[in-house]
Amino acid sequence: MKRNAMTLVIGAVLIVIFALLLFVFQVRQSEVAVVTTFGKPTRNLTEPGAYCKWPWPVEKVYKFDQRVQNFEDRFSQNLTADNNNLLVMVYVGWKITDAKAFFPKFAGGSTLAAQSMLESMLRSAKSAVVGKHPLADFVNADAKQLKFDAIENEIEQAVQSQLQTNNCGIGIAFLGIKKLGLPENVTQTVFQRMTSERQILISRFRFEGEAEAQKIKAAADRQAAETIANADAAATRIRGEGEAEAARVLPVFQQNPELENFLLRISALQQSLNQRATLIFDERTPPFDLFQHLPTNAPSR
Amino acid sequence: MSHDHDHTHELPAPAPMTPDDAGSQALAEALHSSFAIVKVVMGLMVLAFFSSGFFTVGPQEKAVILRFGRPVGEGEKILLNSGWHWSYPYPIDEVVKIPITEIQKVNSTVGWYATTAEQELSGEELPAGVSLNPAVDGYAITADRNIIHTRATLYYHIENPIHFVFDFESASNTVQNALNNALLYTAAHFNVDDVLTRDVAGFRDAVLQRVSDLTEQEQIGIVIDQCEVQSIPPRQLQDVFSQVTSARENRNKILNDARSYENQVLSQAGAQASSVTNAAAADRARYVQSITAEAKRFSDLLPKYESNPSLFAQVTLVQAMGPILTNVQDKIFLPQRADGKPRELRLMLNREPPKPQAAPSNP
Repeated sequence: MKRNAMTLVIGAVLIVIFALLLFVFQVRQSEVAVVTTFGKPTRNLTEPGAYCKWPWPVEKVYKFDQRVQNFEDRFSQNLTADNNNLLVMVYVGWKITDAKAFFPKFAGGSTLAAQSMLESMLRSAKSAVVGKHPLADFVNADAKQLKFDAIENEIEQAVQSQLQTNNCGIGIAFLGIKKLGLPENVTQTVFQRMTSERQILISRFRFEGEAEAQKIKAAADRQAAETIANADAAATRIRGEGEAEAARVLPVFQQNPELENFLLRISALQQSLNQRATLIFDERTPPFDLFQHLPTNAPSR
Repeated sequence: MSHDHDHTHELPAPAPMTPDDAGSQALAEALHSSFAIVKVVMGLMVLAFFSSGFFTVGPQEKAVILRFGRPVGEGEKILLNSGWHWSYPYPIDEVVKIPITEIQKVNSTVGWYATTAEQELSGEELPAGVSLNPAVDGYAITADRNIIHTRATLYYHIENPIHFVFDFESASNTVQNALNNALLYTAAHFNVDDVLTRDVAGFRDAVLQRVSDLTEQEQIGIVIDQCEVQSIPPRQLQDVFSQVTSARENRNKILNDARSYENQVLSQAGAQASSVTNAAAADRARYVQSITAEAKRFSDLLPKYESNPSLFAQVTLVQAMGPILTNVQDKIFLPQRADGKPRELRLMLNREPPKPQAAPSNP
């Protein structure tokens, strides 16, 4: 009897486990699920946890990954507002937001089918938005005129609103431009333009450098000349001051101009005959006048 | 299975209990003991079932327990640190391990020409064609509509594993796309020279800023550690770009030369100026002093002169003539002609005279 009770308990546990397997299912943190009743989507489960259901064939559960999935469209060529061909590739982070809406839209809830729909929406949204903007909105040194973010937002809005009108159960988490390009033959012209720009730069550096160097040198020369001229002027002024100082002494000489005259002449004589001079004189010049009175054999006058 | 097996033997067991058969009693005892063994085995299996819930979390990772698909715990407590942990076995709990402290990295080559790491290392890259094929070669367009190649490596670690693992199918791809976008976006408002030479660090910082903005906005749950950016001009134009660099270097050299000339000229001029003014000052001092000395001498001589002017004059003159005649190199004395007529002298001056020569006097 004890054994029978044991058997009953074990049997009951097995039945409970079997029933749980039939009636209960889990939705993981990263998933959303939709429950179909006789093939018709009836319940939408967005929160993770354990849920009850009627066993097959009444209710059936379809689970989807609700994490953000990455999708990149084709690198396709679009015409900008100013008639430039621009290749644009965008990346999209999308996720299933409403499994009930998502499930019947795509055969068996296939993400591939969803992505191909997304791609066609992206293509039209992209060409429409790119066509509204000139190339200067994509690349611009002026941050105010650059509309990179605005373009991304416009594409996102366009896709988002299309998704909403179609009620796909898909939401866009983010959208950005992944790649920008120019048609292959255009890159060649760009290279030619870049080369000529570089050459302009080269010659500018060359001539600018020389001109600038000339300027620096000329300014230096001028400043040097100015410094020396100022110094000369200062020197003249200093000498003038000396003369003015000397002029205060001059009245002393006026006591006897004759003496001064005499002294000056002597000093001039001393200076002029200082070097490399040849002096020719006769006996009348003092002190050689002493010779006059020498006894000579010449007949005296 | 073993359970069912036991039951089938159990049912006929009471029947042979009545006859006092030693053989069947032995069989019953054997069955009893085997049933006990089965019970022990079952108990061990249950134990093993529950202890299979033990797991370890390594030092470089965290773990999350999903109970019926829902994370256990609230907020920070969701994350289990390294060490031993226990969870219910599979259908109830599920353990998700997440690498967290280790630094992860992504590369962006969306703006780089077609190459591989092996080709780059061995230096066997395909030669550059005349143009860039958009299907193969990546590049970025700068604000002044130049084409450059640029690539980046981003290092990050996971800060919020719940977002990183449960909100993104491939979070590292999402980070990579954010990096791609940041390179293009930043290149679109930098001029080519800024990206390549003038403001390389500024470009890198702007890329980093954009990536962190995007990843924050997208709530990926990562923290960016570092970003390396490399940018080059298109290989097709490498020559002309390096010529620009050398022209710029050359210009700087010319300017430096000019500046050193400037320094030299100015310091020379300064030196000359100060020597000119110093000489003037010295002249002035000398002049004033000499004239003062002269005046003093004059005052001293004046009384002597006034006492007998002609004697004084003669004495002074003769005194002066002494040193003069000593200094004079050649002295020629011409006595008066006997007849008292003036003599005629002829001077022959050599152009570069070693010393002045006087012509012999006429007899």
